[in-house]
Amino acid sequence: MKQLVIVTEDRPGIVADISTALAEKNINIESIDAEATRCHGVIILSVDKYDEALKTLTDASFTVYTENTIVVEVADEPGALAKIARRFKDADLNMRSIRIMKREAGNSLVAIAADHTKEAIKLVEDCIVA
Amino acid sequence: MECYEKKLSPEEEKRIADAMAYIQSQARTAVGYPTNHLFDYSALYPFLNYSVNNVGDPFESTNYRLNTMEIEREVIHFFAELTKLPKDQAWGYVTNGGSEGNLYGVFIGRETLPGAMVYYSEDTHYSVGKAMRLLNVRSMMIRRQENGEFDYEDLRESIRLHRDMPAIVFTTAGTTMTGAIDNIATIKGILNEFLIDRHYIHSDAALSGMILPFVEDAPEWNFEHGIDSISISGHKFIGSPIPCGVVLAKRKNMERIARMVEYVGALDTTITGSRNGITPLFLWYAIKRHGLEGFRNLVKQCHEMADYAIEAMKRNGVAAWRNKHANTVIFPRPSKEVLDRWQIAVHGDTGHIITMPHVTKELVDRLISDMRQYPVKEVQS
Repeated sequence: MKQLVIVTEDRPGIVADISTALAEKNINIESIDAEATRCHGVIILSVDKYDEALKTLTDASFTVYTENTIVVEVADEPGALAKIARRFKDADLNMRSIRIMKREAGNSLVAIAADHTKEAIKLVEDCIVA
Repeated sequence: MECYEKKLSPEEEKRIADAMAYIQSQARTAVGYPTNHLFDYSALYPFLNYSVNNVGDPFESTNYRLNTMEIEREVIHFFAELTKLPKDQAWGYVTNGGSEGNLYGVFIGRETLPGAMVYYSEDTHYSVGKAMRLLNVRSMMIRRQENGEFDYEDLRESIRLHRDMPAIVFTTAGTTMTGAIDNIATIKGILNEFLIDRHYIHSDAALSGMILPFVEDAPEWNFEHGIDSISISGHKFIGSPIPCGVVLAKRKNMERIARMVEYVGALDTTITGSRNGITPLFLWYAIKRHGLEGFRNLVKQCHEMADYAIEAMKRNGVAAWRNKHANTVIFPRPSKEVLDRWQIAVHGDTGHIITMPHVTKELVDRLISDMRQYPVKEVQS
């Protein structure tokens, strides 16, 4: 199932804002999972109308990602992503991409797209967010 | 001979008139996107009566004779000179825009260096993520500096940790949001420091590819400084009613692709088969009508207009700035009312206008007047 990953600031009422925006467009949330890291909120949604939800949330100025990715949090410093990528290389696991979703207050939320998700999650379990 | 069986109904005529009215009205507030609206290609309109198609490689022969490939080759050689690509090494074609050129750059990089890691910056154009997914290459995003350039320290660390892999570095000359220019000499220095001989550098110079050749003390950005391919937009600085651009590459790298395709029976080196035969005419015409001196004057005019906008915004309490050599003026995100009235590109907390040749002082003054009338509301704490 395709998921939507929303990266926000960590503040009270954010889930309510998302739910309201989607409800106004008659979009049902099938599952929702919210994680708060030190400085970000990460909300993972499954909905019945994927494209409409994506548009609704984007129009409401949310930062939404659509890939099936592993989200990790690392220090916002030179080489931080490269060190995570290196773990995949050393474990001989194929990592297709690693990219910054948001940088704030000395930390970066990072999306990793990799084959073999279970093994990939084990590799980054010390910093995984979602 | 009549082309069509039916005439448009009055409702359909109105649809066309409405579409034109919409375009005319939107054109009056277009300040946020890097397209030059100042052009006149009416001398070329007769070509629109023909099915012109530059199918295939512009440097090869084709059976489809209604083409403008000779003109296209002249356009490529013009851009090769601007980007310091020696004529005997030069290859390229007129694309449908900057994104196609970027896709082609990553494509050549991947074919030249199988298994390479692509390094690109946070501020790289969104089309690059798409290109990498299409081409299924491994990629790593690099942090950006405040001004939009690569964070070279992050790039250095990332390359150091992956020094056993070939590197494709996707650079930008004129980022979308701030007009920042990645420094090719610095990037080459990092690659050389870790003895990474197997590297490829592509430059996305969509806008600045037509600015940097005409400024003094430009940073290192072209083939002379070490890039392997470049994508430059045609509809941005030069201006065109149809999106277009050019991609330039070293012939020896392109031939690698050509050989590969030849193996399956067709020497087809471009991304698409059928290609636009009209846009090479537009570019050729603009090149001839402006000339090098004309382009130099246009660049100067754009920079002066950017400085005018910055000063005028500052006088009105708006903290505006620009990168050296860029005509992108960055300022805090304006109010919703201003965004409703003007086509301004916004990104998080910032917005920008780009002083393309059609942007006048009068247009800038009108924008600032609206910014004054509809200021950003202070958030109550």
